[in-house]
Formats: sequence, C-alpha cells, structure tokens
Amino acid sequence: MDDSQPLYLQLAREIERQIVEGGLKEGDQIPSTNELAAFYRINPATAGKGVNQLLAGGLVEKRRGIGMFVAPGAAERLRSQRRARFADEYLEPLLAEARRLGISLDDLTTLIHHTAGARPAGQSSGV
Amino acid sequence: MSTSTMTAPVIRTHRLTKRYGSVTALDHLDVTVPGQRIVGLLGRNGAGKTTLMQLLTGQIFPDEGEVEVFGERPAENPRVLSRVSFVAEAQKYPYSFHARHVLSVAPWFFADWDADLAASLVDTFGLPLRRPVAKLSRGELSMVGIIVGLASRAPLTFFDEPYLGLDAVARRLFYDILLADYAERPRTIVISTHLIDEISPLLDHVLLIDRGRILLDADADVARGSTTVVSGATSAVDRFVEGRTVLARHSTGPLARATVAESYDAVAAPATAAGLTAEPVTLQQLLIDRTSSRQGRTS
Amino acid sequence: MTAITHPVRREADAPARHHTWQHIVRVTRLQFVDPWVLIWTPAVIIGAAWLVSIVIALIITRVAGLDPEQMRQGMSYSWAVLSPFWYFAAVGVQAVGTTLQFALGIGSTRRDYWLGTTLAFAVFSAAVAVVFAGLRAVEVVTGGWGTSAVVFDALWYGDLPWWLAAYTTFALSLAVLVIGAALTTCYLRWRVIGVVTVGLAVVAALLIALAAITWLQAWPALIGWFAGIGVTGVFGIVLGIALLAGIGGYLVIRRATPR
Repeated sequence: MDDSQPLYLQLAREIERQIVEGGLKEGDQIPSTNELAAFYRINPATAGKGVNQLLAGGLVEKRRGIGMFVAPGAAERLRSQRRARFADEYLEPLLAEARRLGISLDDLTTLIHHTAGARPAGQSSGV
Repeated sequence: MSTSTMTAPVIRTHRLTKRYGSVTALDHLDVTVPGQRIVGLLGRNGAGKTTLMQLLTGQIFPDEGEVEVFGERPAENPRVLSRVSFVAEAQKYPYSFHARHVLSVAPWFFADWDADLAASLVDTFGLPLRRPVAKLSRGELSMVGIIVGLASRAPLTFFDEPYLGLDAVARRLFYDILLADYAERPRTIVISTHLIDEISPLLDHVLLIDRGRILLDADADVARGSTTVVSGATSAVDRFVEGRTVLARHSTGPLARATVAESYDAVAAPATAAGLTAEPVTLQQLLIDRTSSRQGRTS
Repeated sequence: MTAITHPVRREADAPARHHTWQHIVRVTRLQFVDPWVLIWTPAVIIGAAWLVSIVIALIITRVAGLDPEQMRQGMSYSWAVLSPFWYFAAVGVQAVGTTLQFALGIGSTRRDYWLGTTLAFAVFSAAVAVVFAGLRAVEVVTGGWGTSAVVFDALWYGDLPWWLAAYTTFALSLAVLVIGAALTTCYLRWRVIGVVTVGLAVVAALLIALAAITWLQAWPALIGWFAGIGVTGVFGIVLGIALLAGIGGYLVIRRATPR
C-alpha cells in the first residue's frame, strides 16, 4: 500500500490479482470489510469503498446475511479486461524503451522469441 | 445513537478565534467535521492543533466565533461532555494518583465505559497499574491516556499526539487496536499527529492546519493523491511544469525536482513521456510542502 | 490480525447518568479515591504531632522532673492540634491546581467540580471534627495519654462541650480548604495578577477596618463584642468566611482555565 493510487483502488486491484491468479476462485468468500481493514491496516470505510468498486465491476456479488463472494465469470472478465489493456500497459512502454535504446523492431521481435524460448515450459499458461 | 447524528456534522466551527497575548493561535477557523470518521488533524508544532481540541472540548473559551459539538456549545455542557473523550498531550493527573486510580475513576464519567476492553488493554500494553502517575514514563503515560480514550467508547474521541514516548512497536499496536475497536464500534475519532505517514492509511478525512488556519480540509484519499513530484533534467522539468501549479521546486545544477498540484494518475503518463520520473506525494511531504509554500497563500 | 470481540458493558443505571446530583457526587468520590490525600497524610501529620507532644511531656515530667500540672497549663497553649491545617490548605490548593484539569479532561463541568469538591471538603471536615472530638475525649479520660500531655484539649478546646469543639474544628477545616481552593481558582482565572489583587483587596479591607476602629476608639467595644459572641460566634464568622469563599469560588471557576 503506497500513495500512488487511492488506497481503495489498491485494495480492489489486489483482490482482482488474486482472482486472476486463481488464489480466489469463483464462489469463494472474500474477507469482510472489517477483516480487510484490519489486515491491510486501513480505514474500514476505505476497505468498503474497495469492495464496492469490485461490486460495481460485477467481480463480486453480495449474498445477504452471509457476505461477499467472487462472482461467476469474474476471472474471465478480468482476463479480458487485462487483455484489452495489454497493449497500452505493457507494449507501449516496451516499444518506447526499445526506441530509446535504439533497438529496431526486427531486433525486438527476435529478442522476444529468444526470451520466450529460453523460459522453461509450463511457466504460465497460454503464452 | 440516532440516525440524525450520522448526517449532522459532529463538529462545526465558525470564525473560531483564540489569542494568547499577541499570538493568534486560531484565526477565524471554519471547520465542519461529519460524524463516523477517523479524522487526522495534521500540522506542525504550534500550528493550533491542541488549541482547537481544547476549544472543542470546553477546556478553554474562544475569543471570537462559534464552536459547536453535537450541535451545542461544548463548554460547561454536560450533554456534550458526557459524549466526548479527550486524551490530552500533557494530561495532568491528581497528585499521588496511581494508574489504577485513573482507570477506576474514568467509568464514572463515561456511560459506555468498557471495563473488559480496559483490562485487556492494560494487559496488552503491560501498564504498571500500581505505580504513581508521577513515576510513569512518557510512554506509560500515553498508554493510560490511550486506554481511557478507547475504553470510554465515547461517540467523539480526541487523541492529541497520543503516541508520545511509545516506540514503533507500541505505536503499531495502538493503530491496530484503534482500527479494530473503530471497526467494531464506529464513532468519530479525531487524532492530531505529526507522524503523519504512519497514520495516513487509517484516516477518512484530513484537516491540515498551519499557524491557526486550515490549509486543507479534504477526504483522505483526495489529499493523498492530490500532488505529485516530477524529477529529472532541469530543463525538462521546467518545460513540464509550465502552466501547472507548482508548490515546491528544488534544483542542483542539471537535476531538478518540482511538486505540482495534480494527482499522480493525471501526471504519471505525460511525465514519463517527457523523460521525467513521477512519484506520488505522501501526506507528510504534502504538509511540509504546503506549510513552506504558505507565504503567498490566503486561507 | 487482532480481533477484539467482547460484549459492551453498560452501567445498569444509565438513564440516571444525566442527573446533576450524580455529576456532583462523582466529583466528591473523586476527591476520596486516593486514601493518602485525605486519610493517611493527615493521620500521619497529626500522629507525628501527637507523638512529639507525648515525648516532650515525658521528657519534661520524667526526665526533668517538673510539675505535670504546670506543664499541662503550658501545653494547653500548644499549636500541635493545628498542625494538619497547613496540610489542609495545600489540599485545597491541589484540588483546583491539578485535579480540576483531570476532571475537565474526563468530562466534568467546572460548576459540578466546584460543588462536588466543596461537598467533599464538608464531609472531610465533619470527619476531622468528629475524630478530634473523640481523641480529645480519650485524652481527658486518660489524663493526657497517661503523661499529662495536652494535644487535643489545647487552645480554645479546653472549656468546650464536645459538640461545640467539633463545630469549631469543622469550621476551621472547611474554611482553610475552601479558601485554599478559592484562591487557586482566582489564580487559574486571572493568574498571578488575580491572586495578588484579591490578596491586596483583603489586606486593604482589613487595614481600613483596623484604622476605622482605632480612629473611632472602638477597640474596647469590639473586644467586648467578640467576648459576647464567644467561641460559637467567632467560629460562626469563620464559617461565614468559608461560605463567602465557596460562593466566590463558584462564580470565579466558571471561566477558569487550567494551565
């Protein structure tokens, strides 16, 4: 938790990360607002805002009287969101840095294949 | 607690002024604090934090202006005072009192006093109950105040620099206990501090006070994200900040650093594109920047 | 993660909390919380004075071999019995000097604090009066604690019935306490200037009264009047002064600010 983003957004992003990486599966209960506040050592209202953010994005659903649960399809929804942002978040900075270092597009492509090939198989799915 | 207390401001001051001789401690202060929040009252030493708290709890009387707590004037008002707990920075205790005397007297004054919580806090902090208050260390004195403030369960609780003398471990303990108790029993808590970054994540609302005036009265998230530092080559920095509000600027030859009054989100991308580094400004640094750039500001 | 779960304890008589009488009495209780302030310290002081008197009496009669009856005459002017009253003055000062700030800090009003504290002073003074009267009775019965010493039967107590003696003790104790507290309240409200002004005003009033009496050559009449009203009357005046100080303190404390 730092000051780069509002704390509630950082909380929401952290839970999203756990959903995408499979730590939180669909139908799993997420901790209560008070538990999240105590765990991350932030104000309960801030934690509540973070959870509301997830609720608004359809990533968690409320089951009255019980708590908040990861919504069906949340992981896939997050993955497609991140796929849509992939070019902006990862490729643009990559290309800018390559340009700065004078690496041509061809060299860059070769580098990518080389690096991907050098990684042990099964490191992550789908690459 | 009735629902009306959830929406009506718990604290309201209007042109509140307090002078000590030729020094104006508070200068026509207008403040509104809604209920059910943890509010940080931030400022340098001598900024007026303690004076404001003393006025809000009826310990001293205003020279000008109005002060309202729970909709009424607090001084000499049992209706208000029974719902307020004030943990003073330099609290005096009756001569020869022991720590246990303080904890046995406090329940008479707070209808919601939680004796179990007080007992568990004494345990947690390791407070020596049988020692005279005059012989307690600064940290132990703070513990007494913290225990009274928390166990009172008062709807409005003031903590004036409650952590003095506590080491980092004890402070962490205090923040965790405060958060847990606040989560269980929401109320309005006002904490004055100059260890701002430690407490920043706990705050809902921030009041920045400097030389008796309010510099910032904002939601904590808004305050935290409100300014950014860009750094890099001096020429690039100067080009970048043209047309933007600059709160501070430092340079050593070819390198420069400037604080702009814009959120990190808004500034990060253009700054990076300009070959600069952008960092969000912490609340602590915000206070420093705002109080040192006050020369030209009107409140 | 710390999870503090426990039931909130509510005092059974919560609805009565806002009654003013409760607010006053809790301040009274506050003054008695530490037994060293109003019980042990005065006990030690008077105990020490008593012990010193006994030892002196023993030395005079047993060691120096002087006449016990003559010594008794002499000791009846001893101020030993008044030794704790200096301490009472300090108690009065401390009650406002430090305890007031504590009481305000936990939510008492100044008005309730003054009423509760003066009530505590009255209760305490009554207790002192009874104890001194009791000790005086024991002294008389034991013939001066078996040594012909005079401690509690001294000064004006000598000829008085027990209830009158108790009344004088009560009046003096209460006056000392309340005046100590009232002067300190003046200090808190008006700082040193205030105390000096009040002190000077009192001294000035006394001087004017003395001058007037002298100029009117009314001394014999005044002394006669004092003799007429007797001990009861004199200590009635003392009580009256205590009452004045009590009212004065109540009016002044409303805007007093502890430092």
